[in-house]
Amino acid sequence: MSLQTYQRLDLASRQLETAIGLFIGGHDKFSVITLAGAADGLLSQLVANKGEKTFVETLAGESDDSATSSRGAMGTHVNRLLFINAVKHMDDGDDGILTLDLFNWAFAAIMIAVADLVTLQGRGVNFVEAFLLWVKQNLDPNTYNIDCDPHWKRLKPANQEQSDS
Amino acid sequence: MSEEQYNKGQIATSQLKTAIWLFLSGRDPASVITLAGAASAILHQLAKNQGKTTFVDFARGIPAAFGGPTLPRSKYNKYVNDKLGINPLKHMSPSCPDTLEIDVEKSAEDVITKAVADYVPLFGQGDDFIKAFLQWSWLNRDGPKVMKDYEKIPKRLRRK
Repeated sequence: MSLQTYQRLDLASRQLETAIGLFIGGHDKFSVITLAGAADGLLSQLVANKGEKTFVETLAGESDDSATSSRGAMGTHVNRLLFINAVKHMDDGDDGILTLDLFNWAFAAIMIAVADLVTLQGRGVNFVEAFLLWVKQNLDPNTYNIDCDPHWKRLKPANQEQSDS
Repeated sequence: MSEEQYNKGQIATSQLKTAIWLFLSGRDPASVITLAGAASAILHQLAKNQGKTTFVDFARGIPAAFGGPTLPRSKYNKYVNDKLGINPLKHMSPSCPDTLEIDVEKSAEDVITKAVADYVPLFGQGDDFIKAFLQWSWLNRDGPKVMKDYEKIPKRLRRK
């Protein structure tokens, strides 16, 4: 035990690596959300410091909704949407009940952090490549963007297509 | 993969259990700090809701026992979370340097201790992961000496 100086990039990477290990290993997904969210709290600022666009920033301004119109607003919106704040905070008056699809939001929290890590370090980080390979081999390409294609659109379930027509 | 309902007691417990498992198996201490910190934030509020004396409320009241001020709760909590690395490991502002000076192993142990201090009044100390951490502390931090020192503390300074 001793005081040491660490790069925040390394501290974020280690948290993301732990999140991915827990996710792939089928362990607690609340922990995955918290760790991936914390990692991206550092990674997104490091991306911004380099003058690059963060993943969340690329989503901001796509609609006229004031909740998603700026980088800051979009960040808050995403943190709320993915329950990143809810699993690490509790305020006065909070009823303490959360209803969520844990697998999907844990997956999304990792993907956001991975996108920002790739912006900073490029492809080739071992645990990122292992995760993306795992995603490709284990998740349904109609439901998940397994190739990280920016133009990918989720296919509607068959029963929803029928009700739309 | 579908929506399910969870309560914050479950969420804090899951994260604290994971933090202790990572800590005792020698995994990344930064992850331990973040997970135990998240658990601690929820457990603090749950303990407060039940009228228990939280770790933070006990600690911030110590100066008052020596004639000093009782520190404001949110200000003191932020101070502790900054010192233990909980905040710097999940937040970064444009003015933050790219580096952080921290004793990650010591902080990991301290943050777990903070969370366990609020877990036990709520849920007891019978869960295996809590027993494992307390046993680790007893063996590695000279439990008998800690208890001897504790007995010397005036009763008015002990946590109720």
